[in-house]
Amino acid sequence: MNLSARTEEKVMFDHIASMLRTYEKKRENLMAILQEIQGKYGYVAPPALQMVAKHLGLSSCEVYGVATFYNQFRFNPPGKHQIRVCLGTACHVRGGDIILENFERKLEIKAGETTPDREFSIDRVACVGCCALAPVAIVDDTVYGHMAPSKVEGVILGFEIEKERKEREKQDSESQE
Amino acid sequence: MEEISLTINGKNISCAPGTSILNAALQNGIKIPTLCHHPNLEPVGACRLCLVEDEKSGRIMASCVTPASPNMVIHTDSPTIKEHRINIIRLMMANHPESCIVCSQGNRCELRQIAAELGVGQIGLYPMPHYTGLEAANPFIIRDLSKCILCGKCIRADHELVVVGAIDYTLRGFKSRPATVHEMPLEKSDCTFCGTCVSLCPTGALSLKNTRYVGSPQNESSTICGFCGVGCSLVMGSVDGQIVEVNPSHKQDTVNRSTLCVRGHFIHDFLSVPERLTSPLVRTDGDLSPAAWDEALELVAQRLIGIRRKNGPQSIAFLGSSKCSNEENYLFQKMARVILGTNNVDNGSYGSGRTITSRINERLDAGGRVKPLAELERAEMIFVIGANPAESLPVASYYLKRASRMNGIPLMVADPRKTALVPFSSLWLPLAPNSDYAMISGLAAILYKRGSYDKDFISQFTEGFDRYGEDLSSFKLEGVSRVTGLDGELMERAADLIEGKKIAFVIGHGILQQRHGILSMDALLNLALMTGSLGGEGKGLHFLTMENNQMGAWDMGTAPDFLPGRKSLHNDLIRKNWEQNWEVKLSPDPGLNTIRMIEEAEKGNLKALYVMGENPLRSLPQPERISNALKNLEFMVVQDILATETTLMADVVLPGAAFSEKGGSFTNMEGRIQSFEQAVAPPGEAKPDWEILGLLFAKMRYPKRYSSLDKIKAEISDLVPVYSALERNEEQTWIKESSNSRLFHLQGEGEPIHFSPVIKTEPERSDEDYPLRAILGSLRYHLGSGTRTAHSVRIKDFALKGEVEISLEDSAALKLKEGDQVRISSAHGSISREVMLNPDLRPGLIFIPVAFHNNDVMNLIELTQLGEANSPGWKECRVRIQKVEDLC
Repeated sequence: MNLSARTEEKVMFDHIASMLRTYEKKRENLMAILQEIQGKYGYVAPPALQMVAKHLGLSSCEVYGVATFYNQFRFNPPGKHQIRVCLGTACHVRGGDIILENFERKLEIKAGETTPDREFSIDRVACVGCCALAPVAIVDDTVYGHMAPSKVEGVILGFEIEKERKEREKQDSESQE
Repeated sequence: MEEISLTINGKNISCAPGTSILNAALQNGIKIPTLCHHPNLEPVGACRLCLVEDEKSGRIMASCVTPASPNMVIHTDSPTIKEHRINIIRLMMANHPESCIVCSQGNRCELRQIAAELGVGQIGLYPMPHYTGLEAANPFIIRDLSKCILCGKCIRADHELVVVGAIDYTLRGFKSRPATVHEMPLEKSDCTFCGTCVSLCPTGALSLKNTRYVGSPQNESSTICGFCGVGCSLVMGSVDGQIVEVNPSHKQDTVNRSTLCVRGHFIHDFLSVPERLTSPLVRTDGDLSPAAWDEALELVAQRLIGIRRKNGPQSIAFLGSSKCSNEENYLFQKMARVILGTNNVDNGSYGSGRTITSRINERLDAGGRVKPLAELERAEMIFVIGANPAESLPVASYYLKRASRMNGIPLMVADPRKTALVPFSSLWLPLAPNSDYAMISGLAAILYKRGSYDKDFISQFTEGFDRYGEDLSSFKLEGVSRVTGLDGELMERAADLIEGKKIAFVIGHGILQQRHGILSMDALLNLALMTGSLGGEGKGLHFLTMENNQMGAWDMGTAPDFLPGRKSLHNDLIRKNWEQNWEVKLSPDPGLNTIRMIEEAEKGNLKALYVMGENPLRSLPQPERISNALKNLEFMVVQDILATETTLMADVVLPGAAFSEKGGSFTNMEGRIQSFEQAVAPPGEAKPDWEILGLLFAKMRYPKRYSSLDKIKAEISDLVPVYSALERNEEQTWIKESSNSRLFHLQGEGEPIHFSPVIKTEPERSDEDYPLRAILGSLRYHLGSGTRTAHSVRIKDFALKGEVEISLEDSAALKLKEGDQVRISSAHGSISREVMLNPDLRPGLIFIPVAFHNNDVMNLIELTQLGEANSPGWKECRVRIQKVEDLC
C-alpha cells in the first residue's frame, strides 16, 4: 500500500471513530452503522469492522457474520477500475462464468476482491439489462458486449497502457519544470 | 406454580410450566432424536429432527423450542413424523461427504447413529456435498467444514459457555458455515483452543488433532483434570493403554459443565511422552541406573533412618506435591512426622500464597472455605483483584464472563494490565503493581466517609470497627492516588459500584505472590467485613488456586506449621489429639518451609530431602542457587512421573503415576472433594504414589499396612473431621467446615472477627538501573512452571515463543520493534526474549510469561520468604531491557 492510501485510510478510521460516537451502544444499531460505512467509503475495512464490534460490545465475528449475510457489504476497497461481470441467465448460458474466471485469473484476485495496487476490483452482478449482448462485462462505465475470454487480456491491457501513458506525461512535465 | 399435564405417546405426564416438550419427554424416558440440542445450551431448533405432532391441531413442531401446554396430545413417533425425520436426514446426508470410512468420528457420529436408527442407508438423492478446505495447521483442532450440518452447537458453546466469540455463522444459504472473522485460521482469531466445540460437534466437522491415526477410543473413564485448581471432570478415552482423547464429563453437576480449557483438552498428551519414568533408578558410581523396586525402597528406608539417627530429625525434609492426591499427601506428611519425627514438610504450592491463606484461615478460623464458582453467577457484584483467570484458570473465567455478559452482574477488575476480563467489566482499575493495599483501603475510606457500610453485620459478627473507622477517617485519599496512580474520580466511581452491594471477591496470584500480599489481604478482608460480604451465597472470597490439589495438600497437613485439617501445630490441644491418633510425640516447633529447606541445605544443615511430584529446580527462583543447595545434600529421593531437572540430581528416583493412572481424591479451589478412579495403567514398572509410600511405610517397619486406597481414606475421614465424607467414596462431596467464628457457626455462637489496623504506605521508589517493572504471569498453554505442559507434543508443535510484551511508548523510547531479540536483566539475573508490542500495556510495565524456555524467568526474581516484611514478592520485579545487537 502506498503512502497516500495509508493516510487516506487513517482519515477514514478517524471519521468512522467520530461517526460511531453518534450511535448509541445498542446492538440494533449494527445494520445502520455498517450501512453508513459502506455507503460512505464503499467498503467495510476489517479494522473498521473491529471498531464497530468494540463500540457495540459485540465480538467481531458476530459483526462479520451479520455483514456477510447481506450482499450489500464488501470488505475490500473498490478498485479504481471496477469490473462487473454479468452472471444473469442469458450471460450464464453464454458462458459468463468463463469470462469471470478469466478476469480472476488475469488479475489474480477473486470476485469481491481488489488488486493489491487498488487498480482493479471484480464483482459479479446478476443481469445488467442488455441480454442481447451476452455475455456482458462492464468496466467502469463502458459496457463490453459479446465478451470472449480472449478479449479479457485486451481490456486490462488498455487500462495499463493508459496508466503508463499518464505516468510518462507526468514525468515529462516534471522534468520540463 | 402448578404442574401442567399432557399426553405424550399415550402416556400421561406432568411437568413444570415452561418446560419444552422435548425436556418433558426426556424427563419421562421418552426418547426423541436431536442433533442441535444440548442441555447446557439455549435451544434454537436448527436441526428439526425433534419434530413432534400435536394430535389435536395436526401441527408439526420442533419440540425443543415449543413449550408444553396443558392437555396437549403429542406423538413423537407417528408415521408422518418418521417420514419427515427420514427426509431431513436424507437431505443432510446429501449435503455431507461420503467419507465415514475415514472419518475419525466413526461410530460416535450422531448423524450416522440417527440415520442408522431411522434405517436410512442409500439416500436416493443427488449428492451435493459442499467441499471446503481442511484446516489443520494448528496442533489442536482439525476443521473439516464439509462435514458441518449447521447445528450451531459450536457457535452457541463459544458464545454462551466460554463467552469468547471467535466463531459465528457467516454467509448464508448453502454457503453458510461457522467461521472466524474474515475466515482467518483459528490461531489468528480470538479462539482460545478450549476445545469445547470439538467435544460438542455431533459429526466429524471438528475433531481433535492427533499425531497419528488412533480411531475411536477403546475405553472411556471418568477422572478429574490434573492441571489447575478448578478441578474439571473429564472423560478420558484410551487406546492400548494410552490416553488419546479428553472430553468434559457428560454429567451435569460438575464444576466445568460442558467446558474445558486448552490444557485440560489437549495437553494431556504429555502423559505418553518418552520422558516418562518407567522404572526405579538408583545412583551407582555417579550414574542413575535402573534398579528393582525392592532394592530402591530398601535403600531409601535405610538411608533416611540412618541420617535421622546420625544427624537428628531436623536434618531431613519432605517436599510434597500440590499435584498429588489427598491420600498421598496425608501419607507423605505422616511419614515425615511419625516415622522420621520432623515437621520439615511442605508442598510445591508454597509460592502460591500459603502464608496469606494461612493468615485468612487464622482470621476467619477456617470459615467460608466452601465457595462454589456457580455462586458467582448469582452474585450482586464481583471484584476481581490481582487475577487473570482467562489465562491462569480459564474455566473459572467462563463463570465471570457469563456472570457479566448473561446475568448483567457488575464486574470490577483491579489489575495493572488490561486483561481479557476488562472488556467484560463495568470498571477497570489500572493500578500500579504492589499498590493493591492502598487501593483497597482507599475504597474502604470512601465508603466509610459516605456512611455506607453494613452496620448490622458489623455489630453482629465483628469487633474493632470503631478503631478501624478512626483509622479510615484519617486515611489520606491523595496519598492513594499517588501510590496507585488511580485518580480520585476513578476511585469514587469504584466506590459507587460497590456501594450497598455484597461483593464476591476473586483473588489471584497478583495478591497471593505480591510484596505486600498479607497487608493487601488484610485490607481486603476488612473491606469484606465492612460491606458484610462474607458468609452466605454470592459473596465472600474465591481464591484461585493454581494447582489441582493445592487445597487438599494444605488440608492434609503437607505444611510445616499445620497438621491435617489445617489445624495449627502451636495449638497444644490439637497437637495432643494428633499425638494420640498417631501414638507418637510431635514437636510443637514449625518445621522448614520450602525456602528454608533450601537455605538449610546451603548451610549444610539439611542432609536428606524427599521430593514427591515437584521440580524445585524449575519452579523456584534462582535455579542455580537451588542447584548448588541440592548438591550439598547427602541423599535426595525424587518421586515423579517425568524425568526432570530435579530427578537428574537425585540419588534415588521412584517412578510415580499420573492422576489418570491411579485412584484418589483432589480438593479443588471451591472446597469440592472429587474422587477419581484409574483410567489406564501406569507405564512400565511405575506405581501409584500412595502405593510407593505404603511400601516405604512397610520398609520402615511401621505397624499399620497401607495396602489399599480405602484404608488411607478411612484413616483420613476418621481423623480429619473436615474430610469425614471421604470414606463414602462418592464421586464428589464437599469439605465440612468447622469454624469457631460466629459468622460461620450454625447457632450463631463463637468468636467475632477482628478488623485489622490500617497503616500508611509510601509509593515505591524507582530504580535508575532497572527502570521498568516486569510482571510475571501465566499463559493458558502452560501451567505453573511448565514441567508437564512443556512435554506436550501439541504445545511443542504450537511453537509459542513466550515473547516479552512491551508498551508502544517504551518500545519507541528503546527503539525496539516486534521480533527484536532483547536481554532482560534484573538485580538477580538475566534472560533473553523476543519482543512483542502490546498496545494495551501501560508505559513502564512489561509482561513476561512464565514457564517458557525451561522457566528461565525465575532467574529474575529472588528466593525469599513470601509474605514476610520487605519480601520482594514473586509476581513482579524491576528490570532493564537492552537490544541484543547493542550488547554485542
